[in-house]
Amino acid sequence: MIELTGVKKAFGKQEVLKDVSIKVNDGEVVVILGPSGSGKTTFLRCINFLERAEQGKMVFGDKILDLKHVKKRDILYVRRHSAFVFQNYGLFAHKTALQNVMEGLTQVQKMNKAEARKIAEDALSWVGLLDKKDFYPAQLSGGQQQRVGIARAVALKPDVILFDEPTSALDPELVGETLEVIKKVAKMGITMVVVTHEMSFAEDVADRVIFMDGGVVVEEGKPGEIFYKPKEERTRQFLSRIIPQDAYVI
Amino acid sequence: MGSYFSAERFINVFPKIISCISVNFHIVLWSMLLGTILAIFVAILRLKEIPVVKQILGVYISFMRGTPLLVQMMIAFYGIPLVLGNVFMNLFGINLNRVEPVVFVEIAIVLNEGAFLGEIFRGAITAVPALQTEAGYSIGMTGAQTFFRIVLPQAFKVALPHYGVDFVGVFQNTSLVFTLGVVDVLGKAKTLGAATGHTLEGYLAATLIYISFSLLLKGVFLFIEKNMKNGSAPAI
Repeated sequence: MIELTGVKKAFGKQEVLKDVSIKVNDGEVVVILGPSGSGKTTFLRCINFLERAEQGKMVFGDKILDLKHVKKRDILYVRRHSAFVFQNYGLFAHKTALQNVMEGLTQVQKMNKAEARKIAEDALSWVGLLDKKDFYPAQLSGGQQQRVGIARAVALKPDVILFDEPTSALDPELVGETLEVIKKVAKMGITMVVVTHEMSFAEDVADRVIFMDGGVVVEEGKPGEIFYKPKEERTRQFLSRIIPQDAYVI
Repeated sequence: MGSYFSAERFINVFPKIISCISVNFHIVLWSMLLGTILAIFVAILRLKEIPVVKQILGVYISFMRGTPLLVQMMIAFYGIPLVLGNVFMNLFGINLNRVEPVVFVEIAIVLNEGAFLGEIFRGAITAVPALQTEAGYSIGMTGAQTFFRIVLPQAFKVALPHYGVDFVGVFQNTSLVFTLGVVDVLGKAKTLGAATGHTLEGYLAATLIYISFSLLLKGVFLFIEKNMKNGSAPAI
């Protein structure tokens, strides 16, 4: 279980997160929605300390951490029990697809090479890219790179995977194949926190949807509630702009 | 004097001059080896921006980049024995005045390269996108693991072309050492010229030797650059 309470973060004078609290249960898929600049990506990055919050507490498994005054050891603990899928893939440019997946297994989990290779190959074949295992990131399409990124995350067997707009850098044709893979991850029962703009995807996989705006959580609930019966005016406004109205008629 | 140039004399001096290339190589290899190591430390320390260290490195780099290498060699050659002579004598029993001049030349080049290569490396390290570091952190790597396994190999690729140019530059700069009495290729050409009264043949030989080894070194670096896959192999 992951629970964050009272997370605050500012870049200079710009307050990005004003007291955000979120709880994610084991095996739950939580989707965070919201307009650009609402702080959702920053919030996600605060969870694994890619960004340092100025205030806030986090319960991560059986650890209770102060987000601001946190020990290096605890940061490593959180990072070693979580994985992150980046908007721009974040594959190691000098390593092949296979090496990208193996890196964390051999260097962080100290697995021997043969074992790591086996797991990495399984993960790549799971995302349908075993035939591309010796390709460098620059030789792969965006969708393929992102699938390698997901394979890298899954292979680590983390407690939670954080997805930061995993499809928003892809061209429309490649979004589908990537979303399919993320849905497969969701079906495995891994805890997931997903920041995305893909509404129909959110509706399909989310156990819970959180709508953020202006650095606060505006509303949260089951996808059916948020999408069809939003309580807050701001949520309604946002959704009406993103989802074409007639989509619901069908 | 019959003629300015004779092929016979040229053939005669060439082997004598080229035999001194080992001196140049000795200087280049040791200076580059130690200089590169020093430069990596300089680059890392500069990037860390540690208060006092930062200012010291700033002064060090401005000095090395702001004065000619020849001046630095002179200072090393004449200055080090004067300033540190007693210390070395008392602590290690080494008489610095007896140490080969080539050692001081190498100290000067190492310090010089520490600054120049340090700046090249610093630029190369900052050229690696921050996302690469974040990706390393995200899979649970430590700062050191991320730096040495993810950032440095990619920075190496950025730095390589500049490193190659610098390497050839150092090779040519070794010709300065005769000023301090170290007999290298140019030094040999000069002494033979002075002894025989025929200077042109020797200098021509030196020129040919410098050109061929410079081009050879350049070729070696181009070869490494082309064959280093490191993530940018052409699409299959």
